[in-house]
Amino acid sequence: MRTLVIGLGNPILRDDSVGLRVVREVAAAIGEVDGLDLAEDYHGGLRLMESMIGYDRAVIIDAIQSGAPPGSLIRLGVDDRPTQRSASTHDVNLPTALALGRQAGANLPPTDQISILAVEADDVLSFGETLTPEVESAVPLATQAVLQMLGLEKECA
Amino acid sequence: MNRISIDPITRLEGHGKIDIFLNEDGEVANAYLQVPELRGFERFCVGRQAEDMPNITDRICGVCPEAHHMASTKALDALFHVDPPPAAKKLRELFYSIFFATDHTTHFYALAGPDFVLGPDSPAMERNILGVIKKVGMDVAGKVLKMRHDGHHLIKMIGGRPVHPNWGLPGGVSRGITEEQRLEIEKLGREAVDFARFSLQLFNDIVLANKGYVDLITGGIYTHQTYNMGTVDQNNHVNFYDGMIRVVGPDGKEHAKYHPKDYADYVAERVEPWSYLKFPYLKKVGWKGFVDGVDSGVYKATPLSRLNAADGMATPLAQEEYERMYATLGGKPVHHTLATHWARLVELLYATEHWVELATDPEITSPNFRVLPTEKPDEGVGEVEAPRGTLTHHYWSDERGILTKVNLIVGTTNNNAAINMSVKKAAQGLIHKGTVVKEGLLNTIEMAFRAYDPCMACATHTLPGQMPLEVTLRTPDGEVIDSFQQHLD
Repeated sequence: MRTLVIGLGNPILRDDSVGLRVVREVAAAIGEVDGLDLAEDYHGGLRLMESMIGYDRAVIIDAIQSGAPPGSLIRLGVDDRPTQRSASTHDVNLPTALALGRQAGANLPPTDQISILAVEADDVLSFGETLTPEVESAVPLATQAVLQMLGLEKECA
Repeated sequence: MNRISIDPITRLEGHGKIDIFLNEDGEVANAYLQVPELRGFERFCVGRQAEDMPNITDRICGVCPEAHHMASTKALDALFHVDPPPAAKKLRELFYSIFFATDHTTHFYALAGPDFVLGPDSPAMERNILGVIKKVGMDVAGKVLKMRHDGHHLIKMIGGRPVHPNWGLPGGVSRGITEEQRLEIEKLGREAVDFARFSLQLFNDIVLANKGYVDLITGGIYTHQTYNMGTVDQNNHVNFYDGMIRVVGPDGKEHAKYHPKDYADYVAERVEPWSYLKFPYLKKVGWKGFVDGVDSGVYKATPLSRLNAADGMATPLAQEEYERMYATLGGKPVHHTLATHWARLVELLYATEHWVELATDPEITSPNFRVLPTEKPDEGVGEVEAPRGTLTHHYWSDERGILTKVNLIVGTTNNNAAINMSVKKAAQGLIHKGTVVKEGLLNTIEMAFRAYDPCMACATHTLPGQMPLEVTLRTPDGEVIDSFQQHLD
């Protein structure tokens, strides 16, 4: 079983970078684990689909703007919310990209093996390398949630 | 004033929203494309080392980071007064040709294709790349993904990492390529030429063979008589990486030809109260509002503009297609906005041919790919053609190379005025006496700006809540009288 954990975001656009931060925290918490790859990227849509080729399972961590309080964690499946504005896709949403990849014969994780952990963002329009306080304080919780999704959560963590 | 709001724009990256204002008779008075503002970029940059800019500016945008990386690297050459050796310039141009081919491929198949191959009246659920593939054949999916895969693979090989390269340095690049790598680049380049020719054939068979689509391209609602801008080489052929900026008038005659560093003498930026965007216009012609014609300083910088502003293409197959396009559309210049998609495919072919040319250049594996700067830095302009238009980076620094001021004119910005004009004209042609807006109609309006491949608020990629297509009708006082939602999920 090969698993990909991928954080999405722009590293210099404040809360947009939260997915990248969480992946780094996950890396620090677990180190090297066989069959598990950690990645940071920028894109949804086609590019995100392409980065999942060859994996059996994927966990995607991204910022979201759903109207919930900043720092809220929201767990989603691929089909729950179409990522049409996603990731400078400059192309298509994730379900469409996955369908395209499968049509082309790409070896992709089944849809029920792709989970999205979204962190509600506050500011995604200002350049800066820091998170807003509520989002910053959600990073440990989001990290823990990812470890849980991977079945790697630590005792008493 | 009545107001119709289209929000969001599907298949357009970033957050955008179209506001259409109706007059008392229900006719379109004005149409505006509005986007949120990304704040604080200059403040983020000032005080940093100039050499960091290629790796900062390429994060502004997830769609064309390679374009920002290249414009920024060229701005550093100028800032540090250093001329890269020929091998460095060729390596940069090779890298850039591969990027261009990859980007244009994605745009045509994912964004433009659905409009043309399926038509603007097809149901929203089918009007995507899957619908295109269903219609033109399953093997196209594999071809498109292979082209993207090869491009990303080579960009990573040459640039050092995927998406955001860490390669460009003042005076050259950080590493060259081996003979083994060159062979792979050449092989994939030849396959890319075949793919580009296949794409043009597809356009020929599906779009040009359909009179309805040709009428749509050449129809008045998508036509603007504006100036056109593009970068040209010493033969006035299209070049993406380097050259002089050439601007031609609505009649095709040369209006200006200047070095990119002199951009401020030729281009000024207008600010409008309703938008965060700036509206560049030709200084020597002047701002006359959002209008067509030789007396209006509005210009376009798109694939079609580049072809209009040049005398031809620098590679043989692309030149043939260039001539065929103008012969079919009635000579130069072409002002039909939707022909931009065709021009993009001509550029795709040029990019792939040039990729092979550079990959087979005897100098491309030369180890002489950098000159160390020795002069004190002060000010520099770097310019490339981004897929979406002329991209200019302008930096000022102190003598230690610490940035004191930064100015960027990004590709899409050049086209802001023209995009608004296209949206308005399309809306005027399609909305009369407050006709209830149907989805096919809205998509036809969206097609007007999608041709520009605009990249708004480039960086934002945050997941949305829901994605309804929202239309709001308002009374002259702004009160909502009705609203329609078309859920796409």
